[in-house]
Amino acid sequence: MTKPIIEMKNIEKHFGAVIALAGVSLEVFPGECHCLLGDNGAGKSTFIKTMSGVHKPTKGEIVFDGKPMNFETPRDAMDAGIATVHQHLAMIPLMSVARNFFMGNEPVKKIAGISFFDKEYADRVTMEEMRTMGINLRGPDQAVGTLSGGERQTVAISRAVHFGAKVLILDEPTSALGVRQTSNVLATVDKVRKQGVAVVFITHNVRHAMAVGDRFTVLNRGQTLGTAQRGEISPEELQDMMAGGQELATLEGSLGGTV
Amino acid sequence: MKHLFTSLALGAAIVTAPLAATAESHSDLNYVLVSHAPDSDTWWNTIKNGIALAGEQVGVNVEYRNPPTGDLADMARIIQQAAASGPDGIITTLADFDVLQGPIKDAVDQGIDVIIMNTGTPEQAREVGALMYVGQPEYDAGFAAGQRAKGEGVTKFLCVNHAIQQPTVGERCRGYADGLGIDLGDAMMDSGTDPAEIKNKVLAYLSANPDVDGILTLGPVSADPTLAALEENGMAGSIHFGTFDLGEEIVKGIKAGTINWGIDQQPFLQAYMPVVILANWDRYGVLPGNNINSGPGFVTKDGLAKVEEFAGEYR
Amino acid sequence: MADTPPVDERIKEMAAFRTALIRPELGGMVGIVAVFVFFLLFAFDSGMFAAQGVMNWSVVSAQFMIIAVGACLLMIAGEFDLSVGSMIGFAGMMIAVFGVVLAWPMWMAIIITFVICISIGALNGFIVIRTGLPSFIVTLAFLFILRGFTIYIPQTIERKTIIGGIRDAAEGDWLGTIFGAKIFGAVFRWLGDAGVIAVFERGNRAGEPVVDGIPMLIVWALILVVFGHILLTRTRFGNWIFAAGGDAEAARNSGVPVNRVKILMFMFTAFCATVFATCQVMEFGSAGADRGLLKEFEAIIAVVIGGALLTGGYGSVIGAALGALIFGVVQQGLFFAGVESSLFRVFLGVILLGAVILNTYIRRMITGER
Repeated sequence: MTKPIIEMKNIEKHFGAVIALAGVSLEVFPGECHCLLGDNGAGKSTFIKTMSGVHKPTKGEIVFDGKPMNFETPRDAMDAGIATVHQHLAMIPLMSVARNFFMGNEPVKKIAGISFFDKEYADRVTMEEMRTMGINLRGPDQAVGTLSGGERQTVAISRAVHFGAKVLILDEPTSALGVRQTSNVLATVDKVRKQGVAVVFITHNVRHAMAVGDRFTVLNRGQTLGTAQRGEISPEELQDMMAGGQELATLEGSLGGTV
Repeated sequence: MKHLFTSLALGAAIVTAPLAATAESHSDLNYVLVSHAPDSDTWWNTIKNGIALAGEQVGVNVEYRNPPTGDLADMARIIQQAAASGPDGIITTLADFDVLQGPIKDAVDQGIDVIIMNTGTPEQAREVGALMYVGQPEYDAGFAAGQRAKGEGVTKFLCVNHAIQQPTVGERCRGYADGLGIDLGDAMMDSGTDPAEIKNKVLAYLSANPDVDGILTLGPVSADPTLAALEENGMAGSIHFGTFDLGEEIVKGIKAGTINWGIDQQPFLQAYMPVVILANWDRYGVLPGNNINSGPGFVTKDGLAKVEEFAGEYR
Repeated sequence: MADTPPVDERIKEMAAFRTALIRPELGGMVGIVAVFVFFLLFAFDSGMFAAQGVMNWSVVSAQFMIIAVGACLLMIAGEFDLSVGSMIGFAGMMIAVFGVVLAWPMWMAIIITFVICISIGALNGFIVIRTGLPSFIVTLAFLFILRGFTIYIPQTIERKTIIGGIRDAAEGDWLGTIFGAKIFGAVFRWLGDAGVIAVFERGNRAGEPVVDGIPMLIVWALILVVFGHILLTRTRFGNWIFAAGGDAEAARNSGVPVNRVKILMFMFTAFCATVFATCQVMEFGSAGADRGLLKEFEAIIAVVIGGALLTGGYGSVIGAALGALIFGVVQQGLFFAGVESSLFRVFLGVILLGAVILNTYIRRMITGER
């Protein structure tokens, strides 16, 4: 494989007396889907927030594209090519798809020295991008509120890719979706990966992870429990690692292996 | 379905009734009275009744208009509106000369007869080109009240002003202070218009200033809660209490001896007289040669019978 | 998945004219038609549609428009400003204090007042952003603070609550003219001479038309509406306004400077209130402590009639302008129609309720809210 696009080395993050991350390391290669698994409170969100520039690490180093990076704001990370798609907070339902698509990156054209929003361009690009992602819009003015949850995630993902994301962080993109919509989103992830984008896929659903993941890293109580290649690990093992093994095994027994 | 129809018809009748009422005119003369009072000021009910009675007796159409919040800039727009609707005469208060002189002069120049009532001065009325002024000069009335209060032994007073934004009303306090021959200082209280607030502010002021021996309120809005405050702290009857204007509670207070006197500016006359004068001016070209002072008149325990009978209606 | 996705059979095809019709401004347009039909029926010969009458309700509507534009953009950005009315009183009083009491040149008094008021707007925004308190509460506080100063300042230095003489002080001042002058006087004089509009019958202006020009107030209203509309729909900043009000967190995640947008909108609202106040004191010549009472609600009502969503993220400046026009026409028109003045509030309430119900319905069709 080539060089990793982003490397997180021994990241620690303390909030006052609370140690949220106690030395987490991870690297992601272009074109790979790296699944980050962990139960609630494992430190997943803190970790991706550190990666996307929301938090500064207390200790540790971030190497992006071979160079050490120090993100001051999410904007810095975004400019570098790290985009985050959040579970709920990706889209504004009342706004049109085109306006959402270009939110924060509005195209402008100058008329008489004044910058105006280039609506024509925004509309055209939005329609094209949506078509390639398999979403059939009535028009660029259609409000995001009229789209399904899966479609919204897809719009958000294709938006990030359109604006040159090299690393795409997906924060539980499938957790609130139905079966069919989940497979749509997973298909989108697959498409994006094939375009050479590095995907960091955060989930606590092992089956979703197994469907698209190339490698899997499990977080527990602020630490990495190891990274495994696809085919090296079974869903059951992942499940066990996520929950810290023992207790869940007993619990699972009583639930008849359904979790 | 039939039921629905009748209720709809009834609804339509209620909605259109106010339109119909003015549409069926019994005369070709139309007069509009514009006041500066917000909707919440009930004192102006007497004015409404006054013009209605005059309109009925003289056989002319009368309308009452006011800015809902008491904003004088809005009042200026109402005068412009009244002028645009082309009445035969406009009766208006002159609550702020700067704001209102323009619209009033425009109406006068347009050929509409104007009478200034209630607020304003005879000089200002002459300046805007009004036919005359009907009302009670505020400062003079306050001064007269102050002189009388001085004779009755007041040495330190509180003036409860519920209309602080209206400078002419404040003149009453100033006149009162000058009549007493003492400095106004901080004796003028911005009480607001909420009864509970006024009551509590008065209670607080009186306990903080125990040497106050006289109270002046500027109308029922401030008088009624002040009365309640005095009942509560037991000073009712012992402290000298004068008030501007009359109202049901004020009349009761005068009767009970809690209020020494009420200054009646006789609002009925301020509304009634202009309508009658305008109608006779338009019909026969006759006009009294002077301004009309509708007040001040001191209403004490004696002579309360009529006041009591018509308080809030015509008094 | 295939490159040409299948059409979802659950999304009905929409007729082109229907999509063209369903816009945030639709409610306002329907309202305008209804209001004018009503008054043409009941007040046609009352002078309401003569030059003087038209000017009367136009000026009142223009006043509402000026503050509605600011309130509209701020509401779309997800915030309220309840201090607009008090700001109007305060700004007028500041101009009077600087220009009359301190006798500064009027242009300087006006500029300093703008600076002070816009700074207060910024302070409003800053407190809202910093504390995370609802803007409703913060600006409610400023409603009282500003009104208090508007009474206190003139009482302390002049012992009265109204300061006059502004018109004389502004005589010939270039900046005063921009707020207080009337334009197209020649056109109206010609119309008056031609007998199209009525003329004064007596006084020193006999023979002059009763409407002698378009006040700058109306010009300001139109400029602000056009500016606000273009800003909102045709610029990058406009997209940020929608985004900030629609979902501040999502907007931040997408790199929209939400805090800056909101603070700027608070400043713009203050600017609009100050324009209102300046036009008012230039026209009427005095500043009073009672000016602008309850104007904040009138602005919000106009904006809501115009189809904006109280919770932010959705609305239209054109809609707000139509709302202001409806408000102005109804308020003045009821007088013309001879309706008992105390019923004004009843009409207002009915219109407000009707508009909000209609707008909610329209918005659901557009945005697919459930």
